[in-house]
Amino acid sequence: MANTTDNKLKRKGMGAKASRRLSNFVIYVILILITVIWLFPFFGIVMESFKIDTQAMDGELFPKQWGFDNYIRLFKETDFIKWFINTAIMGVATAVFQTFFVLAMSYTLSRLRFKGRKALMNLMLILGMFPGFLTMILIYKVFSDLGLTMQMAPVGLVIVYCASSGMGYYVSKGFFDTIPKTLDEAARVDGATRWQVFYKVIMPLSGSIIIYTILMGFMAPWGDFMMASYIIHENSAGMSVAVGMYEWLSKTMLNSHYTMFCAAGVVVAIPVVAVFLALQKYYVEGVTGGAVKG
Amino acid sequence: MASVKLTNVKKIYGKDTVAVQDFNLDIADKEFIVFVGPSGCGKSTTLRMIAGLEDISEGTVEIDGVVVNDLQPRDRDIAMVFQNYALYPHLTVFENMAFSLRLKNAPQDEVYEKVVNAAEVLGITEYLTRKPRALSGGQRQRVAIGRAMVRDSKVFLMDEPLSNLDAKLRNQMRAEIILLRKKIDTTFIYVTHDQTEAMTLGDRIVIMKDGFIQQVGTPTEVFDMPVNLFVAEFIGAPKMNTFKTGLICEDGKYFVTPYGAKIEITGKKAEMLKEKNVQSGEIILGVRPEHFVLADQDNPAAIPCKIVVNEMMGSELHLHVVEENGDKLIVRIPTVSLEDEERKELVYGKTIYVTFESKVMHFFDKETEQNLLV
Repeated sequence: MANTTDNKLKRKGMGAKASRRLSNFVIYVILILITVIWLFPFFGIVMESFKIDTQAMDGELFPKQWGFDNYIRLFKETDFIKWFINTAIMGVATAVFQTFFVLAMSYTLSRLRFKGRKALMNLMLILGMFPGFLTMILIYKVFSDLGLTMQMAPVGLVIVYCASSGMGYYVSKGFFDTIPKTLDEAARVDGATRWQVFYKVIMPLSGSIIIYTILMGFMAPWGDFMMASYIIHENSAGMSVAVGMYEWLSKTMLNSHYTMFCAAGVVVAIPVVAVFLALQKYYVEGVTGGAVKG
Repeated sequence: MASVKLTNVKKIYGKDTVAVQDFNLDIADKEFIVFVGPSGCGKSTTLRMIAGLEDISEGTVEIDGVVVNDLQPRDRDIAMVFQNYALYPHLTVFENMAFSLRLKNAPQDEVYEKVVNAAEVLGITEYLTRKPRALSGGQRQRVAIGRAMVRDSKVFLMDEPLSNLDAKLRNQMRAEIILLRKKIDTTFIYVTHDQTEAMTLGDRIVIMKDGFIQQVGTPTEVFDMPVNLFVAEFIGAPKMNTFKTGLICEDGKYFVTPYGAKIEITGKKAEMLKEKNVQSGEIILGVRPEHFVLADQDNPAAIPCKIVVNEMMGSELHLHVVEENGDKLIVRIPTVSLEDEERKELVYGKTIYVTFESKVMHFFDKETEQNLLV
């Protein structure tokens, strides 16, 4: 009797193992499929950018002839370098200011208790629900009066990207909330001002959230088209990559510029990927270990 | 080194949640004061008001004669040890301890000397290069104390510094704090919910409940003469037995009649009752578990009761007994006073007879719960 039960259990155990393998197999197949679907457009763009036999969309995935012609044309014949530099400067400026605003705002909301704090947070939540372009016409009017459009557009756009960035405090406030308040208190008793607490104690513990905020800020100008196209307003000197490249997709230009558009797309991806890879190693988790009882 | 004076200090959270009421206390220079009480009694809040981490709703806090109500914590010249250590996780032990000195831009030599000295006193020299996460709980607590030590501040505040440690380590650290206190020799304010810590550490103990001070006194004072029932039950472990009983005044003699027994009050307690002119009536009588003694059945002062739980603590026996009316009492008997035979008989269900002497009795008013002799 005992023997048969044992065998039954064994068989049951083996069955469980097999079914676990099967379910893993199915999960992996689905994940690989999703990955392929997700990466395919990027792969297509990279392939297009190396085509030298055509400059239009030809429906082929791989180039018949490979070469760097599109990249050479991009840098020699267009203002792309100018746009790229504009965008990069905007990216860096936005990253710096936005990080400061967001972190200062989040820390304040996480730590200080003042009248109207809850109301302010609710107000920002509600304001954040309105799409940004609702204010586009008004912003354009104000900025054009201030001379912050056309060739001064990069400055104007940095202001646009940073001005309301403090409203995006949720993620970092959530992070700061997890850092024990007694650390602040210990530092204050030790003789630190609020500002010293922020940059000597809290900032070193917030590596991952700082990196996240910097990345968000840096990426904003590369991807923004709508606000940028209004503020830049057909002035080549102040153009960002998104606005500049958009022109190549017009009916008259598409057939002669498509592969170059793809090449520009690849070039635009480089800084964003590079910044991410460079900052990734600072993305340390669990930095608060040992701070308090745990 | 400084005196601390709290005058009519009050803390109100929100509109009407009162955490601390009418707190008046003079703490002398170099005194070790312990705030003790159950959770929510306002002891930590009071400490945090002294530290400057909480606003003071009413009243004043003075350190060395200077009103510090509106000073930031960093301007009060205090050091504080937190319950959860609050070490800076990104800094080494050395830098954790040096943090306050660095903020003051102290010269490198001075920083080194002070930190190393403190580390030596606390026995953590070998961990100076480690990060807090690589330390055990006891080591972390030492670092936290070291961080406070290097500051040479006027007042040393400790907010339940031992309650995160396990029982053995807690006893060890408690002894170390007593030694440390002799070395640092400054004014200490220590918060705890543990009456043992309060009794062993404090020069004076402040017992709090619901935001009010119940009693301030030396450990002996609060143990021997608790002002009310709350203090009587809070100080001492296991807690004091209290029961309703009659107090009879006959021909200038006092008797209590607990559970049918009749015990004459003699000596100093009788004189004090006379002095206070206490009349016959129903009172609450308090007797600490260790003050019960086993008695013979025919002793008129003996109270019969049945053992329900027998806890052998090694050096003593804790007997949880039920008296005939159903009242639960705890009796604590040193094991050395019992023969082996006697000890074996003290088991579940057995009826024993206990009594107590006059000098260990505490008398409380049935209504106000105040000590009748204070």
